[in-house]
Order: sequence, then C-alpha cells, then structure tokens
Amino acid sequence: MFLPSSPRRISASSSSFHSKHRHAGRVLRSANPPVRSFYDNAAMTTENHDALLIVLLERIAHQDEAALKALYDQCAGKLYGLALRIVTQREWAEDVLQEAFLTIWRSAGDYRASLSPPMAWLGLVVRSRGLDMRRRRAADRAHLTQELDDTLSDTLEGDAPNPMDTVQASEQAWALHQCMGQLDNKQREVVSLAYVRDLSHSELAQQLQLPLGTVKTWIRRGLDQLRVCMARFA
Amino acid sequence: MNLMQHPELLDRLASNYALGTLRGGARRRFEALAREQAPVRAAALIWQSRLSSLNELQPQAIPPTAVWTRIDNLVQGDKAQAVMQAARQTAPVTPSKAESGVGGWLRSIALWRSATAAGALATVAAVVVGLGLRQELGSEIARLQTQLQATPQIEYVAVLSDDKAAASMLVTFDPKSKKLTLQRVGAYQEAGDRSLQLWALPPAGGPKSLGVLGTDKLLRLTAGESDVREVPTLAISLEPKGGVPSETGPTGPVLFKGALIQKML
Repeated sequence: MFLPSSPRRISASSSSFHSKHRHAGRVLRSANPPVRSFYDNAAMTTENHDALLIVLLERIAHQDEAALKALYDQCAGKLYGLALRIVTQREWAEDVLQEAFLTIWRSAGDYRASLSPPMAWLGLVVRSRGLDMRRRRAADRAHLTQELDDTLSDTLEGDAPNPMDTVQASEQAWALHQCMGQLDNKQREVVSLAYVRDLSHSELAQQLQLPLGTVKTWIRRGLDQLRVCMARFA
Repeated sequence: MNLMQHPELLDRLASNYALGTLRGGARRRFEALAREQAPVRAAALIWQSRLSSLNELQPQAIPPTAVWTRIDNLVQGDKAQAVMQAARQTAPVTPSKAESGVGGWLRSIALWRSATAAGALATVAAVVVGLGLRQELGSEIARLQTQLQATPQIEYVAVLSDDKAAASMLVTFDPKSKKLTLQRVGAYQEAGDRSLQLWALPPAGGPKSLGVLGTDKLLRLTAGESDVREVPTLAISLEPKGGVPSETGPTGPVLFKGALIQKML
C-alpha cells in the first residue's frame, strides 16, 4: 500500500515552517479563545500541525491549562493507541495516558531541548510511562501474553500496513511509514513490537511462541530493509 | 575493531541498538564505542530518532472521557501546590503585625496591598489571598483534598480556607441525593447574632446563595446539580442572622473560599 504521494512533505522548507510557526504563536498568544478557533481549523497540513503542537507545548511550559486540553484533543487518540499497544490492558493504558499527560504538564519545557518533532517527543513520553507500567506489572506477565496473542493473531495474519493518520504525521514518521510499508507483514510486526515494548529476541520468541531463530531472522531482514529504505530519506 | 571502516556494520549495530534488540555484552561494547567516537554516537542517535516514529505508527484508539477529567484534576492539584510554594516565597512580604484588632477581611486586603506594593508577586498574592493558602497549612489542605477525593460517591469536593490558609470547611456535593455536606474543621464560630452563608461563584453573573449554615459541626443543604456544576469557586460570607437574599449578594466579609473540584467515580 502506498500513501497518496503529496508534494507537501518533501517541499517543506525550513523558512516557510518558521514563518508559520511564528504566525501561529502570535495568533495563539493574543488571547485565550483563539486557541480553540485555531486548532479547530480542520484543514491542517503537517507543518502547521507540528507548529501548532510546538506552540501548545510552549504554552504548557508556561502552565497554560487550555493549551494542555488542546494538546490532549489533538493527540490523545494517537497516544492512547500507543499506550494500548505497549501495555495491552485498557485500564493500564488509561493510567499510562494520564501519567504521560501529567509528565507533559510538568516538563513541557524540556521539549525544546529534544530537537525532535513534537509527536516523536510525546510518543517517547508515553512509551517511557508505558514501559514503566509493564515493569511494574511484570508479575502479571501471563496475562499480558494472553492478550498479546489475541491481537497478534490478527496482525500477523493481515496484510495491510499499520493505519496511519497521514495528515498529522511528522516528516520523519511518514518516511518510516513508507519504509515499514515495504516490509513483510511479520517482519513489520516483530520490529514494531520489539521497539514499542522494548523486547529482546528471546522475549519476543517467547511471547509470540515462535522459534528464536525465526524471530532473529525476521528482525534482521526487517532492519536490513529499513536501513536501505531509510537511507533514501536521509 | 574500528567501526568507522565498516559503515554497514556500524549502521546495523546502531539500528539494533536503537531497536533494543542489541543486548548484553554487545550492547555495552557498542555504548562504550559511542562514548569514545562521535560518528558511532551519531549513528545511534539517528536510529533512535528514526525508530521513535514507530510510536506514531500504532493504531489509534479513543480514550474514555474520564481520563481527561482525571488529568485535569491532577493538574489542578499541581497548580494548587505551585501556589503554595509561591505563598511560601511571598510570606516575608506579609505584614506580621496586621492581625491585631483587624478582621480577617481587612487583613487580607492589607496583605493584598503590601504584595502589590512589593510588585513582583502581585498576581500570585491575589491568588494566595483568594485561596487562603499559606505556610505549613498548605500541605494539610492537600492532604485533606486527597483524602476527600479518595472517598467514594462524592462527585464534587471543595476545601474552603480562611486567609491564614487554615482549612475551615470541607464541602462535598452528591448530585444523586442533591445534598451539599459541609463540615466545619476549623475553630471558627460566628457570633450569636450572625450567620454564615454559602455562595457559589459562577464564572459569569454574580454570587448565588446556596444556603445559610446552622451552628453544628456537620451541616447539610439541598442543592440542584445545576447550582453546583460548572462553578469554579465556593465562598462563605459572614451575614446578619438568618442570611441575606441571593439577589443582594454577600453583604459581609468573605471568610472562607476555595476551588470546587469535580471528582470522577
């Protein structure tokens, strides 16, 4: 599957990004209500979606609750989806999302230093909280494996790459999405799981009930293909 | 071995490192190399950054609405804590002799004025006066608030405090039974010819009376949820015996005030 190849991403020059960012900042800082009118504007390209998230993070760093709510409205679906994928249990994922947003509230000021696209940073916050949760629940491992098998029987059978909100993806995510789309479904799934759940070869083999050699091969081939593909985007 | 002479191996190790599948001794050796050699470090960072986008490629799901409410409540708690810390910093500005012979209302005005004169923390001071938070009593409020939130089946909670940050009144509201429960926790006792009156301070419009308090430690008032919902603040004023009509608004000093927090079940 290929995404509609729109020129918007590749042509994103840093100067146009900057002017939009500043513009967004001015609009948002003028008063409280414009936060809503601005983010309610549905037709939003990648660059100004990123710019919006960056402005929101800046405002959250200054303890602006309206900005936190706006960020939540923008990203909760994606971040909750990620949390669910990491911890697999709904209530745990809810706790992870809650902890993640509290972390964002307290340390949005750290975002600037990360030099990452905003969604990448937010994703790392959620993943880190999610992995903490997995470690805390390590005793319930059997339970985790059970749910894991259910979801995997679907994903390993299926043939479509992961769905993606192409409008809001960062450039980097879009490139990775393209490259992941070229992988064999099983390779894509083990690479994805290894990362989001921070699993070793043997943990993956155990949880997927696959021979260790098979897991190693899938990961190696998956990563080799990713390396070749991602080099084109470098 | 010099990894720089084997770019493909370096790339492979870096991608495995970032994915997390490079483990044990191999991982430690790679980390040691990365600390020594900038190109190794750069390769690792590039792959960490690339693979971090895997977080964005997961299927989306809609979280239950309760999650936001929980986050919002925690954020309010955080803000209250920040206000307390600011209050500790403003404390030296507070005129310590102002108490003598002056009522609580005037005292808070004095605090307001001196804080304004001091300049920098005026806004914070206003909030401090409003919430009545100060010094060590702040943590007591936080404790009570946590405790209240842990109690089941109470959907709205407020801790009303005086200008010295003493928690003076706990208010809970159960929308099912339409009961407002007020519990006096401070030592305050109004004079015999006076009554305390509870007000909702909605975001728009003037204060709305929720009822007049008797002299018991534990008091119950009836109120509709519409009277309480969306109300950010509750306040208690000192009024002539029997209270005043809602339309006139409070006529006496506001003694206790506090934010109303919606609690999720």
